[in-house]
Amino acid sequence: MLPWLMERGEASVAEMTQRFELTESELVKDLELAAVCGLPPFVDEMIDVFIDEGMVYAGVPRVFTKPLRLTAPEGFALLTAGRAAMELPGADTGGALARALRKLAAVLGGDGVVVDMPQPPAAADVIAAANDTARLRVQYWSAMRDELTDREVTPRAVFLDRGRWYMRADDHASGEERTFRIDRIEQWERTGVVDPPRTVKAPLGDDWFGDADLPSVILRLAPEASWVAERYPVRHRRPVPGGVEVELTVASERWLGELLVRLGAGAQVVEPEAWRGLGARCAAELLARYEASGS
Amino acid sequence: MSDALERITNLVALLLESRSSLTAEQIAFALEGQYPQGAVAQRGAFERDKALLRDMGVPIESEVLGGDQAGRTAYRIDRARYELADLRLTDDERQALQLAVAAVRSTDAQFGLLKLGGSADAGATVSANVPTLDALPVLREAAAGRSELRFDYRGTSRSLQPYSLLLREGFWYVIGHDLQHGMLRTYRVDRIEGEVEVGDPGSFLRPDGFDPRTVFASDPKELGEEPTARAAVLVDAVRAAFVERELGIDAVLARRADGGIEVQVACANVDAFRSWLFGLGTHAEVLGPPAVRAGVVAWLAALAGVG
Repeated sequence: MLPWLMERGEASVAEMTQRFELTESELVKDLELAAVCGLPPFVDEMIDVFIDEGMVYAGVPRVFTKPLRLTAPEGFALLTAGRAAMELPGADTGGALARALRKLAAVLGGDGVVVDMPQPPAAADVIAAANDTARLRVQYWSAMRDELTDREVTPRAVFLDRGRWYMRADDHASGEERTFRIDRIEQWERTGVVDPPRTVKAPLGDDWFGDADLPSVILRLAPEASWVAERYPVRHRRPVPGGVEVELTVASERWLGELLVRLGAGAQVVEPEAWRGLGARCAAELLARYEASGS
Repeated sequence: MSDALERITNLVALLLESRSSLTAEQIAFALEGQYPQGAVAQRGAFERDKALLRDMGVPIESEVLGGDQAGRTAYRIDRARYELADLRLTDDERQALQLAVAAVRSTDAQFGLLKLGGSADAGATVSANVPTLDALPVLREAAAGRSELRFDYRGTSRSLQPYSLLLREGFWYVIGHDLQHGMLRTYRVDRIEGEVEVGDPGSFLRPDGFDPRTVFASDPKELGEEPTARAAVLVDAVRAAFVERELGIDAVLARRADGGIEVQVACANVDAFRSWLFGLGTHAEVLGPPAVRAGVVAWLAALAGVG
């Protein structure tokens, strides 16, 4: 009886009593004895046998022989993770992920989630370099300096935040680990150097933007400019008459100037005072080009 | 795996394997070292674990014992009540999901994966910060099950037959047939106010081959009164390669000797067009049409405090 049971892993009490012509209590006694004493060829191990709601289970206990029911948030999170992963290069060679998602969708009553996550041209190679800890020579557009720069970097982690792709990389010129926008990488190639591996965790949530070393600005935003608080991580936010006041980390003065020009009258710099005229200055600089070519 | 997850997994395993229900003391003894010392701390941790498991959809059942343990409470998980039928993932399928979950770093996804027999992996080279909103699982189920929705949005009540959720550029959208307006509509999920009311499943049909990605233009500059409106913009050499990659080679109208390019850009949505333009700083200039160029000049002049 036991080898038969071990081979199957499980059987109903009804089936076993019938097949082996035992009463239920005889079956239970036999199984309990086997569980305690063992039986060739299993003498050196305790057989794990237990009976639960009319079923007999035997063998190595596999905890999740059948998966437990997924809650709605879990089902949603798994499908979203799967769909997001499908968008990444090299995610589904062999089709295992696609099959898993089809099965998951079938038990969850359908799909319902689509993720649109296009990547900039450099992303696939940056990810590969991060996986290989390979050094890259890149031509990178520095928004802060308003120019293309050449540098050598070793990508460590790649992450997507609010629709933009970033890499955390060792910047060899400065010797520091920095965050770069992947869509600002114009040209790239491997240098041939492979650096030692290093685990770098990509930042989660809003903390990464709130670098303590970076200055911040307090802006008063009119309703039409409130999208700023959704697009960029804000440190503080409070409603004020006519809108909302937010504290933003300033990546660079140039970045803030460009933002202020985009917002126009929809934003006012509250603090620091030095930046209250920044929007006007940047607008004048841009206007000069139009005046030169005959506005 | 974090300590809490590990303890929860061991607790679930213990209760599933156990032939009879177990008291809290027996549980703490079996999970040696995983529960804190001291009766009060142990009790607190166990209560938190129970609450967590309940949230995961796996309630621990309790009964009061008789006989020689009379009065003590014992716990069990009724396996049959909480099992998901018919999901048989192969090892490579489970592994693929595991990698996907490692990239998204959501606790719900990790717990879900645990239930499917996978383990939550710590590291991934690539990760995505995917925003989570309470309404999303409800909206997804409604879309999958074809249930109608009612919700408040910007102060008014909306009725929607949801076809799908879409995550794009960091925002979640629910897209479907709007019953009041009689047309396909897109709603930002983070702008839904209050609770979402869900109707009965199977209430409508979704058009074949519906793809939410094609529903609204992925270029926000096209979302305006005249979606085909275009402006000609001169881009300096230093940003030319970037812009050409972004807009495509077909958008290039002319190339200048100094490396600059003239490109055709959608400008139906004036705000989006300006955002795009000013993102290029002093390296871009609107050439025409005259109304669009004048509009940009006026915007800059007002801000510069000129004229």
